[in-house]
Amino acid sequence: MAQETLFLKNTETFAESLARCGVKYHFAYPITPATDVMKHMAVILPQYGGEMMQMESELAVSSALAGAACTGKLVATSSSGPGMTLMQEAIGFMCAAELPCILFDSMRVGPGDGDILGAQSDYYLATRGGAHGDYHTIVIAPSSGQDIADIMPHGIRLAYTYRTPVLFVLDGVSAQMTESTTLPDYTDYSAEFDTSGWAFTGTQDHPKRALITGSYSHQDGYDLNEKLRTKYQLIRDKEQLWEDDAVADAEIVVAAFGIHGRMCRDLVAKMRAEGKKVGFIRPITLWPFPERAFAVLPDTVKNILVVEMNHGQMVDDVRLAVNGRIPVHFLGKTGGDMPMCTLAEMIAEANRILGE
Amino acid sequence: MENLKAKYGKTLNLDKLTSFCPGCGHGTVTRLVAEAIENLGIRERTISIVGIGCGGFSHHYMDIDAIEATHGRSPSFAVGYKLARPDNIVFTYAGDGDTCAIGLGDLMHAANKGMPITTIMVNNTVFGMTGGQMSPTTLAGQFTTTTVKGRAVPHQGYPLLVPEMMRAMPGVKYLARESVATPKAIRNAKKSIQKAFECQVKGLGYAFVEIMSPCPTGFKKNVKDSYAWCDGEMSNYFKPQVFKDETEQNDVA
Repeated sequence: MAQETLFLKNTETFAESLARCGVKYHFAYPITPATDVMKHMAVILPQYGGEMMQMESELAVSSALAGAACTGKLVATSSSGPGMTLMQEAIGFMCAAELPCILFDSMRVGPGDGDILGAQSDYYLATRGGAHGDYHTIVIAPSSGQDIADIMPHGIRLAYTYRTPVLFVLDGVSAQMTESTTLPDYTDYSAEFDTSGWAFTGTQDHPKRALITGSYSHQDGYDLNEKLRTKYQLIRDKEQLWEDDAVADAEIVVAAFGIHGRMCRDLVAKMRAEGKKVGFIRPITLWPFPERAFAVLPDTVKNILVVEMNHGQMVDDVRLAVNGRIPVHFLGKTGGDMPMCTLAEMIAEANRILGE
Repeated sequence: MENLKAKYGKTLNLDKLTSFCPGCGHGTVTRLVAEAIENLGIRERTISIVGIGCGGFSHHYMDIDAIEATHGRSPSFAVGYKLARPDNIVFTYAGDGDTCAIGLGDLMHAANKGMPITTIMVNNTVFGMTGGQMSPTTLAGQFTTTTVKGRAVPHQGYPLLVPEMMRAMPGVKYLARESVATPKAIRNAKKSIQKAFECQVKGLGYAFVEIMSPCPTGFKKNVKDSYAWCDGEMSNYFKPQVFKDETEQNDVA
């Protein structure tokens, strides 16, 4: 497909971005508000010579994804909170097995069965993970359809460079928003990477390869975990991404990801117009968390306000990043008739803190 | 020393000592699988996806690429793999615990999808690696470390008949239950395993072979008695047979 600007739901934009960037196989199970990704993939992937395979559960989805990822081909899945919970087993496995893939969580409100309202309540699930063992998943949080299309090549390169799953998270409100996005020409970004050195494709061109993630004793097993630790440290050092604005002389910095991060642009414009010294940081990678964005904040910053569509999850990482140097406040809500803070509420809270 | 590779082929790695307990049937089944792969000349494009438990060791004795899946999920791994690389030969190998306790859902849906995949389920009626606990195929009244008064079927369930559950699935093209408890049974098992791989080579559909196998450690019996029990009580209940053989159809691959 050639480059074109389309007016799409962001779930459909996610599907278009996957397919246009080289994803050939997509595995999924219906769940609101992520189902539109698999529906769209079912239609478009055959045009790219691929296929969307609907599985019987997210357990099977993630396991089939892992099996397909063993071939070295670019594969993806899409789901939402409860489905992501079921996928934790395979996500932990793929991290240990060093298998690249793209995951998408269209976040909805929980806990329990959850509800289909958009939320950002899977921050912990995404960044801490729900599987056993020492592992991390790279987590990318776009804030718009254009963000999705623009960062997808980078996400795929991260997955193959580090041979690890890359998880995109988007609140269900943004996921179901319809907006104009310029989609790229078709490019298979996974083709930039030679997988012949590790993929499990049969012994015609290599001695026996065995994918073993169940042996951590003795020196070999110890070394396997150390290899992962080294990789994760490298990712922490090199791959932190964030957007910021107006922090150089700010007295208060608002930190938010996804849709609230996007709203921060308006917040800063409005409050600066009133002479308020406010800036914002929008983490783009949630893991690795962009600690550097907070480390370089000037001494003028007396307060940080974290806004989330949950009861306070990313705020923990902000507190860790500033390590007590700057007071960190939190504003957030989830569920109900309006499952997020309005711009007016965000501005009122920032003004309240400025007035303290 | 005799050149074992010249005699037995490249698939079976005879230089490696197995970690199976004395008298375990996994060694026999592993050899039969390796021989089928060797006979069909598919070693270089064959992938073993093994489960968790003693069955997970089997690939160590074969010179083929292998993936150790998560517990019970090897059929789903195989579905994903086969979709991405249809020209490879993919088989899953796991015990009854992995295949029909934690993995029953994955197994049934993989079978029902009917993709050309081969599954070997080694049934020894117990979770062997963890020390002989009840599995879905534990016989009624059978003593295990978790059925200390014998499996009480009214609330612990009846021994699960897995191929019987697949029988009505049109996507399953080869379906059999065999045993390795006697030389004659081993010869039958050899035929069924070979057919289950041929079924995939021809691109016909899903193939499943359950193989009853003694686990002296889990049975808490000596080797001789374990084989007698496998050939007696187990075979009386599970009844080895070829349920379905549609491998003589034309190659549709």
